[in-house]
Amino acid sequence: MGKAKREYKADKIHALLWGIFSVGGFIAAFLLPILIYINNIAYPLGLWPVANSSLIKIVFMVSLLSALFIFVTIGGSLFHGIFRFKTTLPELGLRRASSIISAVGYIIITVGLIALAYYLFHLYQQFDPSLFHRII
Amino acid sequence: MTSEGSTGKYPEYRKRLGPGWWLSNPRYTTYMIRELTSFFVSIYAIIYIYQLSLLAMGNFSSYDIFVRNPATIVFSIIALFFTLYHAFTWFYLIGRIQPIKLGRNKSTTPLQALAINLVLLLVISYAVVYLFILR
Repeated sequence: MGKAKREYKADKIHALLWGIFSVGGFIAAFLLPILIYINNIAYPLGLWPVANSSLIKIVFMVSLLSALFIFVTIGGSLFHGIFRFKTTLPELGLRRASSIISAVGYIIITVGLIALAYYLFHLYQQFDPSLFHRII
Repeated sequence: MTSEGSTGKYPEYRKRLGPGWWLSNPRYTTYMIRELTSFFVSIYAIIYIYQLSLLAMGNFSSYDIFVRNPATIVFSIIALFFTLYHAFTWFYLIGRIQPIKLGRNKSTTPLQALAINLVLLLVISYAVVYLFILR
């Protein structure tokens, strides 16, 4: 493969990663706050809207749509957060370690996304959505 | 001042900055705080995956103990604060980068974009609550 072709391919991947980062930014801005509130603030403190809800609803395992919502929200936020953090660390004096930081960042993103998909699939199979009258 | 690396035809000239460069100007500090919100977003996402792993393994009591732990609640409140900070600054930036055209000569200001997106954030949040919890 020629140098120009290799550079073109690298630039395409670079643009794609920044594109996903941007979509992740929107996801983290629009969807993550409500998820944090429901799951880790309202549920343990018994606040609206989950004060009298079952755990299955609180962990969003009521339908395929809710499982997808979790995957998009957590997956998008993880990608955006790690990608942004790995870009910020070199600006804080770690420029020399930027390739290692980048590699660790991509490993965390990959492992995180695989684990997220695996656990969601596992949980979704365990629960029976028909019991909760959710038909997609 | 030194020149660092040359990626192209011409040498790149960059000022060498110390790790605390962003503390010298309030604008830089705001920028860095905005960038560091990503730390809380990332850690929360990892914690959430850990919570899912507890549920997937059937450890409902461990999940409950973990979620009700005061340290988890305090971290979640801090994470929510920084996530909302990310949302506010993201919406404001979007308004600067891509203003929406209003008629022939007018387009939205960053503050208008922020306001529109905040309303959208409230609508989406309520839609999530209604769709998955209240319905």
